[in-house]
Amino acid sequence: MQCWVLSMRVTSDEHESLKNHVILGKIEEAVHWAQKSSLWPFTFGLACCSIEMMSAGMPRYDIARYGSELFRASPRQADLMIVAGRLCMKMVPVLKLLYDQMPEPKWVISMGACATSGGVYNNYAVVQGVDKILPVDIYVPGCPPNPEALLYGILKLRDKISKGKERS
Amino acid sequence: MFLSPVISTLEEHFPDAISEPELRSGDPWITVTRDRLADVLTFLKITPELRYNLLIDLTCIDFHPHPSRFSVYYYLHSMEHERKLMVRVRVPDDDPTLPSVITIYGTANWHEREVFDQFGISFRDHPDLRRILNPDHWTVHPLRRDFPLGGEEVAFTHNADAIAVQADTWTEPVREKTVQDYLGLTGEVKEGTIIINIGPQHPSTHGVLRVALQLEGETVLRAMPHVGYLHTGIEKTAENLTYQQAVTVTDRLDYVAPLSNNLGYALAVERLLNLEVPPRADYVRVILAELTRIASHLIWLGTHAFELGVQSMILYCFRERELILDIFEELSGVRMMTSFINVGGVRTDLTPQFGKRVREFLALFPEKLDSYEDMLTNNKIWLKRTKDIGALSQDTLIDLGVTGPALRSAGVAFDVRTAYPYCGYNNFTFAVPTGTTGDVYDKYRVRMEEMRQSLGIIRQAMDGLPEGPFRSDDRKVTLPPREEIETGMEQLIHHFLLVSRGFPVPEGEAYSLIESPRGALGFFVSSDGTPMPRRVRVRAPSFVNLQALEPMCRGGMIADVIAIIAGIDPLMGEVDR
Repeated sequence: MQCWVLSMRVTSDEHESLKNHVILGKIEEAVHWAQKSSLWPFTFGLACCSIEMMSAGMPRYDIARYGSELFRASPRQADLMIVAGRLCMKMVPVLKLLYDQMPEPKWVISMGACATSGGVYNNYAVVQGVDKILPVDIYVPGCPPNPEALLYGILKLRDKISKGKERS
Repeated sequence: MFLSPVISTLEEHFPDAISEPELRSGDPWITVTRDRLADVLTFLKITPELRYNLLIDLTCIDFHPHPSRFSVYYYLHSMEHERKLMVRVRVPDDDPTLPSVITIYGTANWHEREVFDQFGISFRDHPDLRRILNPDHWTVHPLRRDFPLGGEEVAFTHNADAIAVQADTWTEPVREKTVQDYLGLTGEVKEGTIIINIGPQHPSTHGVLRVALQLEGETVLRAMPHVGYLHTGIEKTAENLTYQQAVTVTDRLDYVAPLSNNLGYALAVERLLNLEVPPRADYVRVILAELTRIASHLIWLGTHAFELGVQSMILYCFRERELILDIFEELSGVRMMTSFINVGGVRTDLTPQFGKRVREFLALFPEKLDSYEDMLTNNKIWLKRTKDIGALSQDTLIDLGVTGPALRSAGVAFDVRTAYPYCGYNNFTFAVPTGTTGDVYDKYRVRMEEMRQSLGIIRQAMDGLPEGPFRSDDRKVTLPPREEIETGMEQLIHHFLLVSRGFPVPEGEAYSLIESPRGALGFFVSSDGTPMPRRVRVRAPSFVNLQALEPMCRGGMIADVIAIIAGIDPLMGEVDR
């Protein structure tokens, strides 16, 4: 964040004290910094990938390093939906409802081949990519992706948020 | 011709109803006429010298375009005499109906609903014949052979316009029914009761399970599980892959124990091919299957304890599970979906570090297991939350087809590894832990002890690991070795054909039954003589065990529902397939 010291008509003592207490910057940048630093994922585990998503939260990978360890069970308390696993026809209305219940601003990570494109299941039961239903910000490839891959996806999302790019 | 005492007895009592008796991999198979089915099954269940009291599986195969199109199979097991029997009924295309056998075997309930859903065979006198896996408003029956695989075409330059049209036709699916609809309670909800919906998105349902509860105060009057939110069409997909390719989709059934699924599927196909696997491959399979069992039980323990408030347990369990995943990664390069066990043996030989890593794990894990037990086994809160909850009698469990730790915790020592040994399990000494009452606490004790027994099996297998080839030398099935491909043209062509076209498998059906971490896992593979299976049926233990949720929860408290679900340990990938 860029900072400037106030240049006002003040005494040198006051100037010194203000220097230590006031920061100026763009409000969006401050907001983006706050948003990216503690993304709260929604526990939306569908299939195999959810196990790797859990692994990412466990001691070895420790997602807490990025402020995202607080998996929320309620969509009202989360701002990141990690769609972990294959999305099936019967689940579509549920997914849409849950996404709509999340407060703005919100982001979506499509984790794994199935969520991204249907994966190996090009058949009657599986939706060929969650991006048919939700706006996806980051796609993480793999079947299932390693926890490292998911963490990399979260880092990419943080970059995206801090740059303030329009969501896809 | 004398084949088996069962067939002789049946032929004596039902001379006009029994036909096509045969023996397949040691099991008698018979065909029964449609109108006498219920009589024959009742006879098989109640006659003292037969006592086929467990209906392992009920499924259907579509022999399209054969005139008597469908065959419905009833796979029976006798707990007392440790015997199996396959009963087959042929159902014509123009009148796809069968009598329901729920009154004889309670477990048939969901099986019949699944056959109705996937094949469109209706069961007379079934109390609740609704779709189970596919959305309620669908009118098609996807597993019929004349139903296309579905899915989407990939857009290239030549077909991009057509694909764009296809994408436009995507419609929003209709909204789900309400919970009242699911309980069958529309308009007549009892005064003073509350309807509560759990799932399909809930942190403690082990996936996308939906349970509709009717409560009176905090007491559960009814608990109806609803499944199908993860129905992936794995069985249909497997029909459109070659036998060797289909191994990869079996991984994703029970995704915390993928190697068990590989093993069950490989055994069924090998039975069709009449293929012998070298002893080294058998030993490696046993080691991997038991490691998988431990990894799976660790996830169960971690999530189970987490849901009941022991927050640190999940961290410990996942820490130890990572060590097992390291072993899998060392072997195959992948942490979870290894597809390492395939038809004909295993994919590669063991790596030099494999033995060392397994030994390290064997040395480390027992003390960790003790520390888990220190935390839970005599913990007052743990006892209060798990004791005397979700217990059912042995007869009820067997009637509902429950297998695995959930059945053994009630004192029935039925383990497929000892009852019908496969992969040379009879060469290892291990105990089958059982409980007494079958409550959630007993299930916990049984699974903890199973992990110790698995360690013992792995230790024995590591000590006795024979040298030799790691896959069958039948070149009709296995790929030629690398060095031969590099030097010989024929071998190169052969390798190319095996990979691109697959190998044909003789016509017929084979059933393999193994003990997965959740119970008896069955694979029923039917071949039409081509390189792709006609049908791959998965008898998912979680699917069957989940039927017991309703009687286990009835009359209990709502807070115990979560503990009971964790005790059954269902895995939705396997339930919904």
